[in-house]
Amino acid sequence: MAHAVLSCLHANLAALEAVLDDIDRLGVDTITCLGDLVGYGPQPNEVVELVRSRGIPTCQGCWDEDIIEGLNACECSYPSQLAERRGQLAHHWTAAQLSPDNKDFLASLPLSLRRDGLVFVHGSPNSQHEYLLPDMEAFAALERVVSAGADMLFCGHTHRPYVREFREGSIELRLRRPDSGPGQESERRMDLPVRRIVNAGSVGEPRHGGTEATYVIHDGDRDTVEIRQVPYDVERTCRAILAAGLPPPFAWRLRHGFEYAERADDASHVCER
Amino acid sequence: MARWALLSGLGGDLDVYEAVLADLRRRRVDTLFLLGDLIGPERDCRPLLERLQHPRRGELRAHCIYGWWEEQLLAERGYRGERRAEALRRESGEDAVQALLRAVDPGLMDWLAALRFGFVELDCALLHGSSADVGDSLGSATDPLCLLDRLTRMDVNRLFTARSGEQFSVALCGGGITARVRDLEGERQLRQSVPSRQVIGVGRGLQYTLYDPGTDHLDFRTAPDPARVRRRGFA
Ligand SMILES: [Zn+2]
Ligand SMILES: [Zn+2]
Repeated sequence: MAHAVLSCLHANLAALEAVLDDIDRLGVDTITCLGDLVGYGPQPNEVVELVRSRGIPTCQGCWDEDIIEGLNACECSYPSQLAERRGQLAHHWTAAQLSPDNKDFLASLPLSLRRDGLVFVHGSPNSQHEYLLPDMEAFAALERVVSAGADMLFCGHTHRPYVREFREGSIELRLRRPDSGPGQESERRMDLPVRRIVNAGSVGEPRHGGTEATYVIHDGDRDTVEIRQVPYDVERTCRAILAAGLPPPFAWRLRHGFEYAERADDASHVCER
Repeated sequence: MARWALLSGLGGDLDVYEAVLADLRRRRVDTLFLLGDLIGPERDCRPLLERLQHPRRGELRAHCIYGWWEEQLLAERGYRGERRAEALRRESGEDAVQALLRAVDPGLMDWLAALRFGFVELDCALLHGSSADVGDSLGSATDPLCLLDRLTRMDVNRLFTARSGEQFSVALCGGGITARVRDLEGERQLRQSVPSRQVIGVGRGLQYTLYDPGTDHLDFRTAPDPARVRRRGFA
């Protein structure tokens, strides 16, 4: 059965509506959302309410957590100081806009969802703030999947969709204990399982270089993952960003599909928060 | 050549510490690392902690970090924000928390609070658990993928850990993995080898480890039990 996975809606109503239309048109009726419903964008209440009204199972994103808990992200959540300052502006604006009821909803979201061998998280199973980038050290990335008990791990947070498969993995090791005399070390080889990480990209704040909203459709029966790109009315969202008094770069980068220096560049960084 | 002694889990027992120090004599050790769990709930920890702060003449000064027991105590005494000794409470109940509070005089807290989480020396990380958590218990039966992850997080070749109390060394010595990525730019594939790295459990109490960073030589040792030595002395 095919199901759709979305992430990082970021209060962009036009993008969310376009993606839901696309999903409906394809006849897919199971949807999972990986969080970051709010932040950056101009319609936090509208987006939260649309997700709630459609009854979409959702896990909590880094922005959703920060809006509830107050800003406690470690510095690795922002790739630059400028990005951090703009992010804080958006944080305060969003916190002021969100209705108490919608805040309660964000606070109630689980950190992960699980369906059969599929595990859904925002950043990584360790933290909503950890980036699983496509070029992260392969063993460390696979460890995230295995330790979560997942055959396939769905994540978001990087805003760039990808599918990464780990195959033909093995680790050979030599074990020594106090009682093993010289030359009596035991050797062992462990074959690693085949596993996949699927990053759902971003509906409302894409950073893949284009302006389209991105999400994925996984078909368990055919064992396929399709990365979907959906055009939407970008201008509608840009106008609303400027009208709300949010930082203009949030509008530029949606309009031009710039990555705009707001992505984490250190693939090996592990958030130790 | 430099030679390290690595110990842990003294649980406030000065006799055990002295037994290890005695065992170290004539072993040409020049650096002593004490990887946490200096304290414990079983006895008054003051004599040991004072000795660690003021070694006797000619005695090595131990480089100490905090371990799981210090973390519990620091949390319970309000040094960790909102957190309390929840892990200890969950595992052993309220009595254990009270015993720990009785075992360590509040006047010793500032010294304990100033202890570091770990040391990085040369290409070695010296931690109580791992950088994932001070309570992360790594042993010879731990999933190698997890060991590799803990090494990767610290970006070191040798990770010395103490939490499990086990003396062991797991050397990663071969293997690899193929990762294929598909995104909107296309598809690419990369084969990566397992780096030659090692996780070493240093033991606890009388069981400790000698390490020579110049030759990479490891020696798992057990100091003679001070209780038995004493009994023999009186016989
Ligand atoms: Zn996001
Ligand atoms: Zn995020």
